[in-house]
Amino acid sequence: MVNPLSLFLRPKVTETFKFRDEELEALGEEIKKEIPKVFGHSLAIRELDSGSDNSTEIEISNLGNPHYDVERFGISFVASPRHADILLVTGAVTLNMAEAVKKTYEAMPSPKFVVAVGDDACDGGIYKDSYAVLSGVDKILPVDMKIPGNPPSPKEILKGILALVKKASK
Amino acid sequence: MDVKMNEDTKELLSTISGIAEEEPELLSARENEIYLKISEAGFEDITPALAERKFSLIGLFCAEVFENTDGFTLFYAFKQAGKASVLVLVREPGKEKRVSSVAGIFPSASWFEREIRDGFGLDFAGALDNRRLFLHECYHEGFHPLQKAFKNGPVHPVETPSKEYKFRQVKGEGVYQIPVGPVHAGIIEPGHFRFSVIGEPIFSLEIRLFYKHRGIEKLAEGKSPSECVALAEAVSGDESMANATGFCMAVEQACGISVPERAERLRAIMLELERIYSLLGDLAGMAVDVGFALVASPFSILREEVFRQNEKLTGSRFLRGITVLGGLKKDIPDSALKELPAFLEKFSRAFESAYDRAMSSSSLIDRFATTGVIKKELVSPLNLTGPLARASGCPADTRIDRPYGAYRDFAPEPSVRKRGDVLSRFEIKADEIRASVNLILRLTENLPQEPVFAENREEAENIGQNSGKNGSSGVTGYSLALVEAARGQNLHWVYLKNGLIDRYKVRTASYCNWQAIEHAVIGNIVPDFPLINKSLNLSYAGTDL
Repeated sequence: MVNPLSLFLRPKVTETFKFRDEELEALGEEIKKEIPKVFGHSLAIRELDSGSDNSTEIEISNLGNPHYDVERFGISFVASPRHADILLVTGAVTLNMAEAVKKTYEAMPSPKFVVAVGDDACDGGIYKDSYAVLSGVDKILPVDMKIPGNPPSPKEILKGILALVKKASK
Repeated sequence: MDVKMNEDTKELLSTISGIAEEEPELLSARENEIYLKISEAGFEDITPALAERKFSLIGLFCAEVFENTDGFTLFYAFKQAGKASVLVLVREPGKEKRVSSVAGIFPSASWFEREIRDGFGLDFAGALDNRRLFLHECYHEGFHPLQKAFKNGPVHPVETPSKEYKFRQVKGEGVYQIPVGPVHAGIIEPGHFRFSVIGEPIFSLEIRLFYKHRGIEKLAEGKSPSECVALAEAVSGDESMANATGFCMAVEQACGISVPERAERLRAIMLELERIYSLLGDLAGMAVDVGFALVASPFSILREEVFRQNEKLTGSRFLRGITVLGGLKKDIPDSALKELPAFLEKFSRAFESAYDRAMSSSSLIDRFATTGVIKKELVSPLNLTGPLARASGCPADTRIDRPYGAYRDFAPEPSVRKRGDVLSRFEIKADEIRASVNLILRLTENLPQEPVFAENREEAENIGQNSGKNGSSGVTGYSLALVEAARGQNLHWVYLKNGLIDRYKVRTASYCNWQAIEHAVIGNIVPDFPLINKSLNLSYAGTDL
């Protein structure tokens, strides 16, 4: 049983592991500076799984864990495509998902951007020759940025988002 | 025939002889795997008797042109809880496109039969459900991708589907339906849920999956086994290690490759690390779903730390690309291995403090206890496995029942709860993390210093590489492997023809465990659905393939 008072008195649990990463901090600060150039104060992202093996989603959701905590850089993941500036698509587009992918994209307000995350989303990857997929996301949506990797690490995903923000501000 | 059966298997064989009216033909046997060819009449006799003796149907799959038979061959894999042996009944409908269904006797057969119907075009007479499973409306009628006649390649989707997918209708005063998905409101995989509710309580739920059907089994066809390891890893991202190991074990058994002890031990260490990060994600997710970030955060922190350990050990956060046939692609650096015990000690301290904090919150216990109960009676008929079954009073664990690799010498500490609710699953998962930590510590002690590849690795790597080209032909054979992934028992079956994969069947624990959710939610309120779903942690990718 934990004494509730101890929550305030004892040191923070997170201190068991020290995880300040200077590279990540610099990356985050840069994103934070770039976002207002095109997007107002923050960047709203909708994640869409179009047929991944779920490792890419895991890395994307890891962006929210205390190590990365990207909300402090002005990035938030939203529940509806109607609220989103960017669509992060993972996985090769399966035939079974194609319709839902199109509808999700159409539901986003313009201007909107599409980012393909992971090898499969970039060009179909390992599933290229399968009857069940249409190949990469660019087969059905205009893709603005590709982030390769199997799966890309959270930091690589963040770098890709920064590259997109920079591209959009030009 | 090479028959090396263990006691368990001999006992199984005599049981079958006792039940069957006519003696089935023994096709082949391995230490704990037997294949019996059975006539149609014999099959009708034996299935109810197997159900009575608490056999679970753990797999049902089809192959075309198996061992020179014309047409189709069906494989029914059965296993009793706690026993090592797997009984495979082989049924040969040949060119016949209609066979009798067993879904009435073994409910887990329903999805398997629909899957075979889609893949091969076989009909099951008396089936409870004849809707398509993994081929959604965008596929043409009469398209059966797993038939040999179909050469893999792009197909044209249907513009306007002729048939509507009809969901179960629940009618009555005050009943209304809530459709959810396939695209959900968070970072999760796609699937469709139909809730029939009366006010807040859920009255009935029907799930529709396979939105992520990527055709993995067809992609494996005609490839060499070494090429297919990456495909096995892609079955489900957070089960990469378990599925790569399962696939390799099946091929290794079929080809007679023995893996050195060091490689077996390292594989087991990585399998346990995968279990730890997977279960930590569940614990964090369950806390998030009751709005308790203070409890969830330390679990997420630990999870990320495990990902980083994985990267130090193998170069991949998801332990990918390290497993090869016959062992491991490369040895694990000593520096990284030496770091493990100290890391795990720190890990355990932080873990216990996080767990204590969770368990001392009455609001968390209130949401978890009595929510999403899965009754023990469902476990065997639906072939539920993993923490889900162990939280419902069934101690089944493939690592203990049917030990493989290093688990032959190192068994995890078993843990069982009886209530079958979300709280039991939370406790079981925490217990399993502790057991995995202890297991890794034991596995790293006195690790043998030797190469991590099989002695006949050259042969292993060349299986299929040169067959057909210069006339030399590789191995022909088949084998089944069961591994315990974080979610439960995964089944891998390979059939090699001249060293190339002719048929690869994967059935992950999620595939069977998904069917529990329709039962677990009944009577619960809609806002508890995400929590129940999280506590079961089912993989969509691992089901959809």
